[in-house]
Amino acid sequence: MSANVCEMIAEQINTGILVLDLELTIVEWNRYLQVHANKHSNEVLGQSVFTVFPELPRRWFERKLASVIQLNTPNFCSWEQRHHLFELPHTRPISTDSHFMAQNCTFLPIEKQGKLTHICILIEDATDVCHYQSKLNSALEQLAKANKIDGLTQVFNRKHWEECLAKEFGRARRYQHELALIMFDLDRFKLLNDSYGHQCGDLVLIETANITKSLLRICDQFGRYGGEEFAVILPETDLDGALDVAERIRETLEHSVIKFQGEDIRFSTSVGVATLSADNQRYEDLISSADKALYDAKSTGRNKVCAARQELKLLVN
Amino acid sequence: MNQLILTADQQDCLQELINVAMGQASDQLARYLDTFVHLKVPSIEQVSSEHLSQSLHQEEQAVAVVSQGFFGYEGIRGEALLVYQPKDSDRLADLLGYEPDELSVEEQIIDLSSILTTTFLNVFASQIDNQMSYSAPRLLASSQSSISEHIEQQQFTWDAALKVKITYQVTDYSFNCDMILLIPSAAIINITTVIDRILEAF
Repeated sequence: MSANVCEMIAEQINTGILVLDLELTIVEWNRYLQVHANKHSNEVLGQSVFTVFPELPRRWFERKLASVIQLNTPNFCSWEQRHHLFELPHTRPISTDSHFMAQNCTFLPIEKQGKLTHICILIEDATDVCHYQSKLNSALEQLAKANKIDGLTQVFNRKHWEECLAKEFGRARRYQHELALIMFDLDRFKLLNDSYGHQCGDLVLIETANITKSLLRICDQFGRYGGEEFAVILPETDLDGALDVAERIRETLEHSVIKFQGEDIRFSTSVGVATLSADNQRYEDLISSADKALYDAKSTGRNKVCAARQELKLLVN
Repeated sequence: MNQLILTADQQDCLQELINVAMGQASDQLARYLDTFVHLKVPSIEQVSSEHLSQSLHQEEQAVAVVSQGFFGYEGIRGEALLVYQPKDSDRLADLLGYEPDELSVEEQIIDLSSILTTTFLNVFASQIDNQMSYSAPRLLASSQSSISEHIEQQQFTWDAALKVKITYQVTDYSFNCDMILLIPSAAIINITTVIDRILEAF
């Protein structure tokens, strides 16, 4: 390409071009950079790049250029790691929320007669890509969350809760830590639904989840196991500790009053508790122990806490 | 499809070109990083696209993979993958001459990858009277599961590739990583043309 054509293209291209000598003094720049930096060439050319662009992280920038100079190789800087190097406005000031142009920068060694004399920095506007990528990321995050959360009660759904249990179970067995499981079920929930309607039932489920959540530690993992059944994983917790928590949940829920269309709704729960024991080979064994304890609580009068039977045997002994 | 694209002579010649390039690259890197950089004798093998993910699975411990495309004259092009193992990244900023708070771990990995890839390939290109250009390096994945996922999701548009694996060791920083150069079959034919020219000149 003729020098004339190159010059014309450099002046019209939508990419910033900045040429530095080895002392990092600006020797050339193109129109794109000129209008975006909104400075006159005569106050820029011959100045140190750090004087004209004081926002540059100086030490980092010098080291980056040192690799280009010493190794005679190009180097790169992407908006994904560094949103921008140069504080330049972008061309979509209305529709994006970022203040400065997101940039992909390329640092190229420039040789004359086999000797490196200059560094050329190309600055490309990546604001669009950055904008759409962040939108995509937040959509993906929401999707990932939706995949884990029960739509009605906003606690973990069964699938995710079981994955958590599988992890905790594996960890507790490997390091011989304690692990407890609480499963509880609303008493006579069908009756509640039949008498007051499903909207009332839904409200009770939501409130049960909220109240229970407020009683748990941050490391406890709480999920909706199915219909009106909830489950809590208690890491590093022995049977006494778990029975304490279980009783607190049962008692608090028993004394809660939920207002539905002017009426006071009261309800109770039956609770089963199990802890990890040597003969639990799979996490499902722990669930079925807790489930059996829950069934014991139901069949012996409801509104009570029962521990898994093998635990009772231990207690008796 | 195990027929070799390269003859024994061609493979020897390529191996020799790579060895020389490794020597020079290691010298340049040592001067820039101010520490010894050993490049271990590469393996050159041919992989089919369906076996690529399998062959990369061997790098299953990898915590990060950075990809950078390269292209030169005479249709020589390919993709360089830099594969990092879990404990490799502790002192990268130090090795690169940055303060750890000046750049994220991701940026450190990308920066180092770019330096290793471009230094080696520049020297290699000059061996064959060529000149390389590079695309910006990209972090493909930064966790174990996502690397195999990433590779499996690729719809490869080629059926065979040359895989050149070079291990970089920086003993002072107890650091090492693998560079895997993947050259698609169309580009291999172009490389063999260049190799044949070199072989004829001997």
